[in-house]
Amino acid sequence: MTKEKKKALRSTAVAYSFILPNFIGFAVFTLLPMVFALLLSFANWDGANPITFAGLSNFKRMVHEDTFWISLNNTLWYALGTVPVTIVCSLGLAILLNRKLPGRDIFRTIYFFPYVASLVAVAVVWNMIFHPTMGPVNELLHLLGIANPPRWSADVDWALPTVIMASIWKGVGYYMILYIAALQGIPRYLYEAASIDGANKWQQLRKITIPMLTPTTFFVSIMLTISCFKVFDLIYVMTFGGPGRATNVLVYYIYNSAFKYFEYGYSSAIAMVLFVIVLIITLLQFRMEKKWVSYM
Amino acid sequence: MKKIAMALLIVMLITTSVVFAQGGNEAVQSAPAADAPVNLRFVLWDKASTQYLMPLVDAYKAKHPNVSFEFVDVAANDYGDKLTVMLSGGDTVDVISVKDIPMYSGMLTRNQIVPLNDLITRDKIDLAQYSGATDELTVDGKLYALPFRSDIWILYYNKDIFDKAGIPYPDNDMTWTEYENLARKLTSGTGANKIYGAHHHTWRSTVQLPTVQDGKNTVVSTDYSFMKPIYDMIIRMQNEGTIMDYGSLRAGNIHYKGVFYNGQIAMLPMGSWFIGTIIAGKKAGETKVNWGIAKYPHPEGISAGTTAGTLTSLAINSKSTNKEQAWDFLKFYCGPEGADILAKTGALPAIRNSNILNTFASMEGFPAGGADALQTVTVRLELPMHAKVSAIEQILNEQHELIMTQSVTVDKGLAEATARVKKLLAQ
Amino acid sequence: MGQLHVNGKTGLPSMGRQAVVSDILTYTVLVILAAIMLLPFFWMVSASLKMDKDVFRFPIEWIPKDPQWVNYSKMWTKIPFLTFTLNTAKLTVIITALQLLTSSFAAYAFAKLHFKGRDVLFLAYVGTIAIPWQVYMVPQFIMMRLLGLSDKHLALILLQTFTAFGVFLMRQFYLTVPNELCDAARIDGLNEYGIYLRIMLPLSKPALATLTIFSFVTVWNDFMGPLIYLNSENKKTIQLGLRMFIQQYSADYALIMAASLVSLIPVVILFLAFQRFFVEGVATSGLKG
Repeated sequence: MTKEKKKALRSTAVAYSFILPNFIGFAVFTLLPMVFALLLSFANWDGANPITFAGLSNFKRMVHEDTFWISLNNTLWYALGTVPVTIVCSLGLAILLNRKLPGRDIFRTIYFFPYVASLVAVAVVWNMIFHPTMGPVNELLHLLGIANPPRWSADVDWALPTVIMASIWKGVGYYMILYIAALQGIPRYLYEAASIDGANKWQQLRKITIPMLTPTTFFVSIMLTISCFKVFDLIYVMTFGGPGRATNVLVYYIYNSAFKYFEYGYSSAIAMVLFVIVLIITLLQFRMEKKWVSYM
Repeated sequence: MKKIAMALLIVMLITTSVVFAQGGNEAVQSAPAADAPVNLRFVLWDKASTQYLMPLVDAYKAKHPNVSFEFVDVAANDYGDKLTVMLSGGDTVDVISVKDIPMYSGMLTRNQIVPLNDLITRDKIDLAQYSGATDELTVDGKLYALPFRSDIWILYYNKDIFDKAGIPYPDNDMTWTEYENLARKLTSGTGANKIYGAHHHTWRSTVQLPTVQDGKNTVVSTDYSFMKPIYDMIIRMQNEGTIMDYGSLRAGNIHYKGVFYNGQIAMLPMGSWFIGTIIAGKKAGETKVNWGIAKYPHPEGISAGTTAGTLTSLAINSKSTNKEQAWDFLKFYCGPEGADILAKTGALPAIRNSNILNTFASMEGFPAGGADALQTVTVRLELPMHAKVSAIEQILNEQHELIMTQSVTVDKGLAEATARVKKLLAQ
Repeated sequence: MGQLHVNGKTGLPSMGRQAVVSDILTYTVLVILAAIMLLPFFWMVSASLKMDKDVFRFPIEWIPKDPQWVNYSKMWTKIPFLTFTLNTAKLTVIITALQLLTSSFAAYAFAKLHFKGRDVLFLAYVGTIAIPWQVYMVPQFIMMRLLGLSDKHLALILLQTFTAFGVFLMRQFYLTVPNELCDAARIDGLNEYGIYLRIMLPLSKPALATLTIFSFVTVWNDFMGPLIYLNSENKKTIQLGLRMFIQQYSADYALIMAASLVSLIPVVILFLAFQRFFVEGVATSGLKG
C-alpha cells in the first residue's frame, strides 16, 4: 500500500474510532428496532399473531382514510405555526438577556421554567387561561367589546392554535438557552470593531449577531421542525386529538393505530410517510445550509 | 465501502426479521404438585386504592399458604398501553385484570388470554350467579374471563339542595323527561354560587347510555339516529344552563367528584363505584355532602331498574406457566367468597343476590333507603363486545365531542358517526 | 473594559436618557413575560396546598384559604416517593454523563475530520431523530426483553445513552471552532485524540452545559420509557409515581402538584449551577486578532 493510502486508511480508522462508541450502541438499541418498525409498514401484524406480508396495501389504505389526511393537515399547520414564531421569540429573548442586566440569571431561569414544568400543569394552566367562559383571556376580550370570543380548546377551529400557543410558550425557554450559549461564542472584537466603525446597535444586530448565529438557527430550525412533526404528549394532555379530530396529529394517529387498534403494520406505514416528509424537509434545509449559514 | 454497507444492511434485515418474527405460544406446563410453592404474577391498576384487593389476596393465601403473589401495579390511565406492550413482549404474567371491553376484545382476538369453558364445566361453576354478565363476555361460544365486579349506573343526589328547594327526593321510578324537568326546577343562582340541577360528566357514556337503555339498539350500530332524542335533551339542558357545558368541563378539567362534594349539583347520574368513594371521602373529612341514591332514570315504557353497567374481570394469560393455580385463584376471587369481601369494602360484585346486597347496603355510611336503588331488572353493557369495538369507540368519542361542543348539529354529528362506522365495518 | 471617560469624569456612557428609557422598557417587557412564564408555577403551588376537590374550582382561588401543608408530607407516604426520586436521580446522572461522553466524541469526527461517507452518515443520524418513538417502541421492547433486560434500569440506560440529538448539538458547536486551531495543534504534533481532549473539550463548555441541561431534563421527566420497562415498584421513577396519583375514578391533583414541585427543585438547582458556564464560555478566538 502506498504511503498516502495508508495515511488515508489510518485517518478513516481514527475517525471511526471516535464515532463507534456512540454509533454501535445507537445501531443496536435504536437503529435496529427502527428499521424493523419501518419494514413492518409492508406487513400486517397485531403484536401477537405471526407477521404476514402485505405489500403496499397499508399505503393504499392510508390514502383513502380521511383521518390520515386530517392528521397530516393538522401536523403541517402545527409546524408552520410553531417553528417561525418560536425561533423569533427565543432569539429575541436570548439577545435581550445577553446584556448585563441585574437579575439576568433569574430571568433566564424563569423563562426556562415552562420547559421543565410538568406537562400536566402546563396543560391545565393553559386551558384555564383560555377557558371559554371563565378564563381571563375571554374576559378581557369581552371587555374589549368582542361579544363571542372563540371557545379556544373547545372549538374545532381554535383548538389547534391554542395548542400551538401553548407549545411556543413551553418551548421558547429551551431554544433561548441554545441561543444564549451560541451568543457567548461570538467574538467580542467583532462588536468592538463595529462600534469603532460607527455601527449602531441595530446594525450590529443585523450584520454581526444574526449571521454569526446562523449555525445555531440552522440547528434550531431542524430540531424544531422535527419535534413539531413528532408532537404527541402536549396534545395527549391538552385535547386528546379533539374536539373531534381537530388536533389529531400524525403521531397521535400512529399511536391509536398501534395501541388501540393493534395495527402495527398500518401504524408503521404512517410513520414511514412521516419519516419521508421530515427527511425531505431536513434535506432541503441542509441543501440551503451553504446559502445562509456562515461558519467561521 | 459500498459493498460493506450493503452487506451490513442485508445482515441487519435478516437478523431483525428472524428476531422479531417469532409468534407461537409456549408449551403449556402440566399442573404442579398440590403443595409446591407457586408464585402468581398479577397485573392490575391502582393497587393502593383498590380496597378489596389485599383482603381477597390475604384470604386466599390463608387457604393456600404455598402461593405467593407478585403484583405489577400500573397507574389506571397507563394500564392499556403497559399491558399491550407487556403481552406483545411475551410477558408470562399469570393473572390479568381486564379493565374494559376494548381491552378484552383485543386480547382474545390475539389469543393472549385462555378460554375458560372447559375449566368451568370441569369444576361445575354455575354461570347463572352472574345474572347474565358472562353472556356479555362470551364470544363465539367461548368465555375468556370471569367477572368479579359489576358496577351499575344509578342516580346520586344532594339532599340539602332538594330540601332547600322544597322538592321531594327523586323516587326510584323516574323517566328521563321527568329528570330533565326536575333538574330545571333545581337550577338556581348565578356565577360562583350557581347550583346546577344535574351534571353530565364528559364521558360519552353519560349521554349515550340512556339511548341504549331500551335494548333496541347498542352503540355498535349502522344508524345512530336513535340517539337524537337524548342528545337533543342534553344540548337543551346545556343551553338552558341546567347542566355545565361540555367545553367548560373539558377546559376546566372539572371532575364530577369535586362538584358533587362542593354541593354545586343537585343530581348526578354516575356509576356505583362512586358510592365507596363518597363514603371514604366523608370519613376522611373531604366533604360534608348530604347524599342519597336512587335508581337510574329510564326511558318511557321501560321498567325502572333497567340500567347500564360495566364489568371488571380477571383472565389468565396464554403464556402463563401456572394456569391451574391462576384458575384456582380466579374461582375464589370471582366466586361467592370474593363477592362477600368485595361487598364489605364498598365494591359492587358481579355475583348479586339478596345476601350480597344486604352486606353492601349495611356498610357504614351507606345512605339510608339507598338499597332499593341497587335493585336491577336488566343491566346492559355500556360497550358490547365486537371485534372492531376500539375503533368504533374512538369514532363515537370524536363525534360526541363535536356534538357537545356544538361544533356540529346533533343531526350532522350523528349522521357523520353513522357514515364513519359504516365505512369501518365494511373494511 | 475600562470605564468611559466623559468630560474627564467617569460615569454612564453619554447616551443618557435614551438608555434609561430603553432599560425601563426592556425591564417592563421582561417582567411581564416572566409573570406569564411563571403562571404554571403559581398555579402549581396554589393547587398543591388545596384539597383535591378544590383544585379545579372556579373562579381560581390563587391563595388557598385553608392551605393543606399536610400534602407535602402525604406525598412521601402515599407513594414511595423517596425511592422514586433516588431511582430517577441515578438514571439521570448516569445517562447524562454517558451521553456527554459519547456524543462529544462522535461529534468531533463529524465536525472536524474528513472521511468517506461522513455527510451521508450524519444525515442518516439526524434523520432518525425524525422517527417518533411510538413507532419502534414495541419492537425495541421485544428485543430488550429477549436480551433479558426487562424490568432493569440498565435497559433504560442503554436505550437513552446513544443519542443522535447529542451528536447533532455538539457537531454544530464544534463547527464554529476555527479550523486553524486544530491545524496548529496538528502541526504541533498532537494526534486527534489529543486535540479532542486538550482543545475541543475545554472550548465546548457552553455546549456541554447545554447538553447537560437538556439531557438531564429529558431523562428526569421521561415517562414512557420507565412505564414500559419497569415493573417492580422499587425500580420506578418519579414520573411513574406522579401518574399513580391519578386513579381510575378519581385523582389527587393536589398531591401531583406538590410532588411535581418537589421534583422540580433538582432541575432548577442544576440549571442555576450550569448558568455560569454560559457566562464563562467567552470564546477564545484569539489566534489572529
